[in-house]
Amino acid sequence: MEKNNLIQIMTEKAVAVGTIVHEIFSVSDALQYAVDLNKEKNLKTLACPGLDSEDQDRLRDLCKSSGMDFLEEPLRNHASSLDTSLTWVDYGIADTGTLMLASDSEEIRIATMLAQIHIAMLPVSKIMFNTGSIEAALNDILKKDSASYTAFITGPSRTADIERVLAIGVHGPVELHLLLIKDMQP
Amino acid sequence: MIKTAQDMKSYKKKIRQALGDSFLRSALDEFNTAYRENRPNVYKDIDFNGIRDAIAENKDSLIPFLEVLFEEFKLNAEKAGAIVHRAKDAQEANEIIARIAKENNVKKIIKSKSMTAEETFLNDHLEKQGFLVTETDLGEWIIQLKHEGPSHMVLPAIHLSRYQVGELFEKQTDLKVDAQNIDKLVKVARYELRPSFFEADMGVTGANFAIADSGTLGMVTNEGNMRLTTTLPRVHVALVGFDKLVSDLGSALRILKLLPRNATGQAITSYVTWIKGANQCLNASFEKKQMHVIFLDNGRLSLSKDPVFCTSLRCIRCGACANVCPIYSKVGGHKYGHVYIGAIGLILTLFFHGKENDRAIVRNCINCQACKEVCPVSIDLPHLIKKTYARVIKEEGKTPVKNFFLAKVMKNRKLFHFILRSAYLAQQPLSKGRPLIRHLPTFLEKDHGFRSLPTITKIPLRDLWQTLSPKLENPSLRIALFAGCAMDFIYPNHGKDLLKLLKKANIQVDFPLDQTCCGLPAMMAAEEKTARALAVQNIQAFSTEQYDYILTLCASCASHLTHNYEKIFREAKEPAPDLNPDLKLFTDKIIDFSSFMDKVYKFPQASQNINKQVTYHAPCHLCRGLQVTDEPRALIQKAGYTYVPSKDEDVCCGFGGSYSVDFPEISSEILKKKLDNVEASGADILVTDCPGCVMQLKGGLDKRQSPVKVLHLVELLAKKKE
Repeated sequence: MEKNNLIQIMTEKAVAVGTIVHEIFSVSDALQYAVDLNKEKNLKTLACPGLDSEDQDRLRDLCKSSGMDFLEEPLRNHASSLDTSLTWVDYGIADTGTLMLASDSEEIRIATMLAQIHIAMLPVSKIMFNTGSIEAALNDILKKDSASYTAFITGPSRTADIERVLAIGVHGPVELHLLLIKDMQP
Repeated sequence: MIKTAQDMKSYKKKIRQALGDSFLRSALDEFNTAYRENRPNVYKDIDFNGIRDAIAENKDSLIPFLEVLFEEFKLNAEKAGAIVHRAKDAQEANEIIARIAKENNVKKIIKSKSMTAEETFLNDHLEKQGFLVTETDLGEWIIQLKHEGPSHMVLPAIHLSRYQVGELFEKQTDLKVDAQNIDKLVKVARYELRPSFFEADMGVTGANFAIADSGTLGMVTNEGNMRLTTTLPRVHVALVGFDKLVSDLGSALRILKLLPRNATGQAITSYVTWIKGANQCLNASFEKKQMHVIFLDNGRLSLSKDPVFCTSLRCIRCGACANVCPIYSKVGGHKYGHVYIGAIGLILTLFFHGKENDRAIVRNCINCQACKEVCPVSIDLPHLIKKTYARVIKEEGKTPVKNFFLAKVMKNRKLFHFILRSAYLAQQPLSKGRPLIRHLPTFLEKDHGFRSLPTITKIPLRDLWQTLSPKLENPSLRIALFAGCAMDFIYPNHGKDLLKLLKKANIQVDFPLDQTCCGLPAMMAAEEKTARALAVQNIQAFSTEQYDYILTLCASCASHLTHNYEKIFREAKEPAPDLNPDLKLFTDKIIDFSSFMDKVYKFPQASQNINKQVTYHAPCHLCRGLQVTDEPRALIQKAGYTYVPSKDEDVCCGFGGSYSVDFPEISSEILKKKLDNVEASGADILVTDCPGCVMQLKGGLDKRQSPVKVLHLVELLAKKKE
């Protein structure tokens, strides 16, 4: 399928389930986006497990100059004060607006589960059409003899357990932001 | 603690209580309508039937090999550091989990939602052993605080209002809670439960899939608590039924296409998590989580070998069979299941929780087929419910009075018809010569007075037949009429109208006099031998090869003859091989009235319009039983009337044959909603094409003294002006 078409479907479906989607050009933009968002929401802390150490350093600096706390790993120690996390995700599944994320690392899991806001970065080249298109990739992970923890994430945490009224942000993130990064090629 | 009624008297009491709960009633009624209205939207771009059939076929191919899949799962999961156990029953599963907790010096346990843990009453067991157990799924936490079981498999606290939840939260937190605001209630759970995740030493979950070829568990959730439960504590225990085993990822992904859509109307849930083996956990020794998977048998493996009930293991716990059930929508889950709720609950309760807990609830099925239609794995739920009831009766070793009489009377057509004829005389003091009995004797009026009752005719159709139906010289078609008891003994005028129509088209119609009740009432009472005897009598009564069609104006008879006769013989202990060719010939020729008039008779368009608005009630056994939906509506318009839809046209009217006599309090509530919708449509006439529905709807509207007239479709078509 045409790349632009996939981006369009991915965006539509993700927005439909409450994900906030932006197209950006680089990781730098994403770092700035995270800091700006935190500022706007009056939040104090940020973490970015799984990013290159260079990018982590840049975010650390940005936090410093903005008066925010960059949370160092292990995040378990900061689990109750984690406001926003920025992570990569491995694939996008366009037809449901889903993100696939190998979360074997506890840092990644804590960052994407306990933060108020999860900002996910996805290179547009990693958008696939449906679960069928990522089945082989997921199976490669599962068929290894080692342990693994792989997540499909579709929108923020939600419930309808009280009077079937939809409420966002129960135990997981209250907001999910998806930053589609354009300039990265496979 | 769950207390399910173990006898009809206390069950009836609980039903009356539920019917008096105004919040429950409005919440579930709205849910029922909203779920069904949203469904076409949810399945807009999805081939529901195709995927459903593929899942069912795949599951059927795996069910005989659950133990092989278990071994494969165990091998693969243990390579990745998991420890895999099997438990023969609930007690053993609970003991294994308590032992793991003790061995790991666990004090606090958190849980994410698991129906399997509900099945084993795991919390009770762990609490008795001194562990502190906290449910973290919002709905499960609410019912834990209320000390109740779930009232729905997916929405466990659907029976409670926000205000009831608010009260529970205030008591739990000692904080003032704004119960009006559901978002704030949800945040109470978020902040109140968060510390529990950090304090817990062990997390217990269920799983939706256990994938054998990789040893992976798949979990389908929305709130995010399951992810925390499997991440923060150092021990993870997953309790999984053997039926959750699938061979490979592809099978799981196929189920994932329907599970969230059917359960909550989502294309996919917020989270789907694939967990294999012992993952990283930084507060565990060696930074590895201890991961246990316990496979629960509890009767599943013996079910997997049962030729009839093995299909119940296809269930993926979407809860949809409750969502569309007209009875669930009236009484709620605590009165419609034990642990497992809805149609599948009426079945599984016998096998997982014993006949005592099933004997009352299993009788509460009206056989409307709504559950069967939405089931994402094609379980023939209404049929299995009756098979379950038959097994309960067998296990109890006592024949219910009703079954005793059914067996005695129905098998003997002459005796049965003699009784019906006698009823004509017996009813005279009540009917006072009218065609409807509006008031019953006082002791019956309270429960059964919600509808006027039709009277038994003085001369049944079979007696009128010789004079009514002359032999045609060169008929264009030859058909045999399967009258059904209602047309024969209550509404012979429907037969007269039919003859009027058929004569015009030069169609010869015969009435084989040895025909008897189709047997559906016997089957509904789980009186299987009688149902089979009636099937044999009917097949023998029709010289089928002489006819182009066997026509019936009763949707229930049509559906029963078409689908159930084959099942009756297939499942009988002593099959009747000599009958098989006749059976196939017979069932293939059955046709319902609407299909016949539309497709065979080709009812012509009226030349002029009639200034009357007509709405339609879709009989369960026509729209779902036979998938006939467009024809009756088209015929109404061809007859020159304006068709006006009413809400929930395809929802049951509450009749269900003897159901309306056994459960009048529920039947009357289902009927009330139906008639409210009919009256709101503004129609002058309500048409349907099943005499059972006619009886119920006419009786209800008469009691309301409503101006809306009820007609069988044959009456409407026979009225058509030339």
